[in-house]
Amino acid sequence: MEEKLSLELKNISKSFPGVKALSDVSFSAIPGKVCGIVGVNGAGKSTMMNILGGLLQPDEGGKILINGKEVKIESPKAATDLGIAFIQQEVQVFDTMVVYENVLAADFDKWRKSKNSLVLDRRAMKKEVQRHLDALGSHIDLDAPVYSLTVGEKQLLQIARALSQGGRILLFDEPTSSLSDNEIARLFEIINTLKEQGYIIFYISHFLDEIFTLCDNVIVLRDGQKTGDADISDIDKEKLVSMMLGHMIEGNARSDVRKQSDVVLRAEHISGVKFPKDVSFDLHKGEILGVWGLLGSGRSELFNALLGIDEMTDGRLYYGENGKLDEITQKDLYRHIGYLTEGRHFDGLFLNMTIGNNITSSDLGRFSSRLLGILNTKKEAEESRSLMKQVNVKAVDENMIVSKLSGGNQQKVIIAKWFLKDPDILFMDEPTKGVDIGAKAEIQNLIFEKSEKGMSFVIISSELEEIMSLCDRIIVICEGRLVGEVSKSDFSKDSLMKGIVSQEENHAD
Amino acid sequence: MSDKLRQFAHNNKQLLGMTAAIAIMFVTLSFTVKDFMSYQNITNLLSQVAPIAIMASGVTFVLVTGGMDISSPSVMAASAVVGVYYMTATGNLAIGTLVVLAVAAALGLINGFAIAKLKMVPLVVTLSMMTVATGLATVLSGSVGLPILPPEYSGFFNKYTVIGMLIVIPGILDYILKGTSFGREIYYIGNNQNTARISGVNNDKVVIITYVICGICAGIAGIINTASISTARASMGPQSQILDIISAAVIGGVSVNGGKGRVRDACLGALLIVGINNVMNMLGVSDYYTTLIKGSIIIFAMGIASFRAYISAKKGA
Repeated sequence: MEEKLSLELKNISKSFPGVKALSDVSFSAIPGKVCGIVGVNGAGKSTMMNILGGLLQPDEGGKILINGKEVKIESPKAATDLGIAFIQQEVQVFDTMVVYENVLAADFDKWRKSKNSLVLDRRAMKKEVQRHLDALGSHIDLDAPVYSLTVGEKQLLQIARALSQGGRILLFDEPTSSLSDNEIARLFEIINTLKEQGYIIFYISHFLDEIFTLCDNVIVLRDGQKTGDADISDIDKEKLVSMMLGHMIEGNARSDVRKQSDVVLRAEHISGVKFPKDVSFDLHKGEILGVWGLLGSGRSELFNALLGIDEMTDGRLYYGENGKLDEITQKDLYRHIGYLTEGRHFDGLFLNMTIGNNITSSDLGRFSSRLLGILNTKKEAEESRSLMKQVNVKAVDENMIVSKLSGGNQQKVIIAKWFLKDPDILFMDEPTKGVDIGAKAEIQNLIFEKSEKGMSFVIISSELEEIMSLCDRIIVICEGRLVGEVSKSDFSKDSLMKGIVSQEENHAD
Repeated sequence: MSDKLRQFAHNNKQLLGMTAAIAIMFVTLSFTVKDFMSYQNITNLLSQVAPIAIMASGVTFVLVTGGMDISSPSVMAASAVVGVYYMTATGNLAIGTLVVLAVAAALGLINGFAIAKLKMVPLVVTLSMMTVATGLATVLSGSVGLPILPPEYSGFFNKYTVIGMLIVIPGILDYILKGTSFGREIYYIGNNQNTARISGVNNDKVVIITYVICGICAGIAGIINTASISTARASMGPQSQILDIISAAVIGGVSVNGGKGRVRDACLGALLIVGINNVMNMLGVSDYYTTLIKGSIIIFAMGIASFRAYISAKKGA
């Protein structure tokens, strides 16, 4: 490092229509320290990273200083030129190319034999790559095709690529999510080596252990604001968690804790290929059951395995009807449930179809004649309209194409779709994700209304506040296992976090 | 009333465009080509359209799920050859006709099974099926060819029956696609197969049935073609014919990406394509130019489709 490297952010804000994703965030980083960045979903971590990476422009008034000079990062290219490099969560490599080609893939132009030559100077390329790999202490064969490498080695390639592009400020975004324990240890060694070599390193992770093992200081974001900036030695996990979550309103909208009624679903020892691991729970009629866990804890995987979307390797399901609890197959269970998925566009909507066609997709059989399946489109339109009214979808009519609606309205269409089926149990994965405040409250009220009428809910939410105000009972998932259950009277952020924290400590032993 | 009319026009842009194009073609030709509008020529034209239109109807089902079937002409020839083989061996024309349909359905089932259950790539599966079916037809019909069928067969499936089939079969198929829950599920899958699955649609089953329908349509076309030449041979389903079929569907606004299109419009596309063939023929244009022009028409039609999608995406943003 020829000059003294430094990075400083001053009063960075970023507004999106209706939301302030970041407000007045300032911090600085110096070489020789790994700086952890933590926060729950939606806290503003990605927005900040995207600003540093040149994908987003901050609002007027903020300043980014590199080596004391104010800079504007207008594009990803500009970020690279300034020495900012990302190491992404998903490993991004060209599988069929060999190692050294992968490392230098971003700038082959630099490696032409002469300026206009079509031939690459492969010897020089290899030498360059070997230099970076040596610095990382790696012994990967330069000529090995990348598909033959492990995930950990591929990640290493990404780091080498970042270094070869002149990266001096390295942003690691959840780099361990697909690595094995050994590979994680290896990655930490490498990060520590880089730290000693004078790079500025940011490390984003949901795994609090990792933050404590690796980082020297930590920056905490919550609701777009910096709520903590501390040396790691000054804080402990509990303190960090309370910085992440802040002070919660611990009262909630539904005050009457309903008395336990009949069990409508009993899941026993549900296991999937990776996650979940041996999860059992009961769901009562009219109950709203929360599933809480950090991102990557296997929450969505629990739903997918339980409902047969992904393979369920082990487990039994029992379904309760008229007070009798009988074992049921996944296929039969699916007739009694609805599943609002996390990916609205991926598997929630038929984007290019009308609102009406979307709403009736959950229970088409109701509109078709028994023998030939002839659709009664008039009845379809009527019921779609009445459901649109019930959940308050703002649109001209049921013939509008769904892709033209706002995110909140799209989410309401999915809710209308499942309300049409009127299942006994509705599974919801992040029901208010990407939805504005107004729609959020409406959706929560709809959930309450339906549960009063006896529909049971199982809800995943990353927002503690939401899950605490919605649910009657919360089960806590960590690394695919059920690690705790909290009943309404004990709801507090501490009781929910304790499960996760203590589990991680056990795991570290 | 004018509101309803506007709504209809909005929902049926493709239909109106197609009808206009066909009308323009017919009017121009009635002035330029001698005897074009004669009763004889029009009924001949329609009976030529029938096999292409019916196969295009079947392919439409597959295309709307987001799949692809290029084996139609070969399946048509193979099923016809097997059927005629059976007819000449037993002399039973009625059962022979059912054999044609059964063979075609079976070949479609193989396509569908490989694609839906074994998750093989539609293009590769149906490309292989194309060569297998052509091979089967060639082997069975042999170097001398199959004998000529008794005249009752062609007498039964005469020009007027065929024109009747042209109206009735696509009519039924159009209704299945547009008006039944099965058809709606096809649109769901073509639009977003993940959402379809979450919504409780049995994707594999629906996809398999669409390939079977596509096969059966090829079988029906095989019956019509057999009647018109009084026998069956491998060469009656030239592999290049798939170009006509797919172009009919694409010109009719069926999206090769799935989720969009109607049987009715694909059939009008077939009328347009066969009309062009017919005219080129009458004008004495060489085959080489005909394929050149047809290819250009497909690219042009697809270009218009993606331009429209681009415009509507822009409007939406």
